[in-house]
Amino acid sequence: MTDPGPGPFAASEDDVPIPYRHRIATYYQALGYGEPYRWAHYADVPFTPLNKPLAESRIGLITTAAPYQPDKGDQGPGAPYNGGAKFYTVYSGDTAVDHDLRISHIGYDRTHTTATDSNSWFPLPALRRAAASGRIGEVAPRFHGAPTNRSHRVTLETDCPELLARCREDRIDAAIIVAV
Amino acid sequence: MGCAKDIVEYVGVPRFLFSDFPLGNPAGKPHDPASQDFTLDLALRVLETAPGPRTTMQSPLRWSDDASWKLDFSNIDRLSPEELAHRRAEFDRQKEIAKGIREKAAE
Repeated sequence: MTDPGPGPFAASEDDVPIPYRHRIATYYQALGYGEPYRWAHYADVPFTPLNKPLAESRIGLITTAAPYQPDKGDQGPGAPYNGGAKFYTVYSGDTAVDHDLRISHIGYDRTHTTATDSNSWFPLPALRRAAASGRIGEVAPRFHGAPTNRSHRVTLETDCPELLARCREDRIDAAIIVAV
Repeated sequence: MGCAKDIVEYVGVPRFLFSDFPLGNPAGKPHDPASQDFTLDLALRVLETAPGPRTTMQSPLRWSDDASWKLDFSNIDRLSPEELAHRRAEFDRQKEIAKGIREKAAE
């Protein structure tokens, strides 16, 4: 009997989500760095069910993208990694107006994407459309920027409490975190 | 919403809409409002219907028919020694810049 093979609809072996932790660890080891980065890791994960219909809910948006700063060097589209464009404190913006947010401070895939459309990482216009169509009740008055700080301590003790306080001030029912 | 499935699941989050796209596109394909609306709506559905923590939904959208883009990101098997040396120097430079900003922010 011959093996019928994988069939016409089978995916290739490499067609799986990229194993980033392994890739990044081996990459930086090859660059000569010692200890690999230790990602935050939790066994217990909180969960709060939505307590009212989405169509009646106020939805917040949290982003790791950075406001464009003309004095901070090339921030794209397509800029090389720009550590100078990073931010280290939580910031907020008015969701009623448009914003120029960039991702040059993040290790995104510079080979296979161009960072030419902020809607692919900052879905504020899409969220406004969801509110206009009645899919959600309303967009929160502000969105918030989460610093991409390597320090777990700073993230947990400084940035997260600040983000939570601002979300509470905004009286949101749920937040969508968009991690670039 | 994110594109790094293993990292987000390793950290652990209540709900996760995973798009199997190159990093930088957690909210849908660039210049494709239909993809962006679809992606946000999936995230909203996960928000509404997840039965408990660590619920991951994978978007059915494909970045391209050819999955070979997944082999490139930070893959040392695909870099020459010269390219590695160049990247190391550049990374050191960027770290110094970032350190300067951090110290300034802490003042």
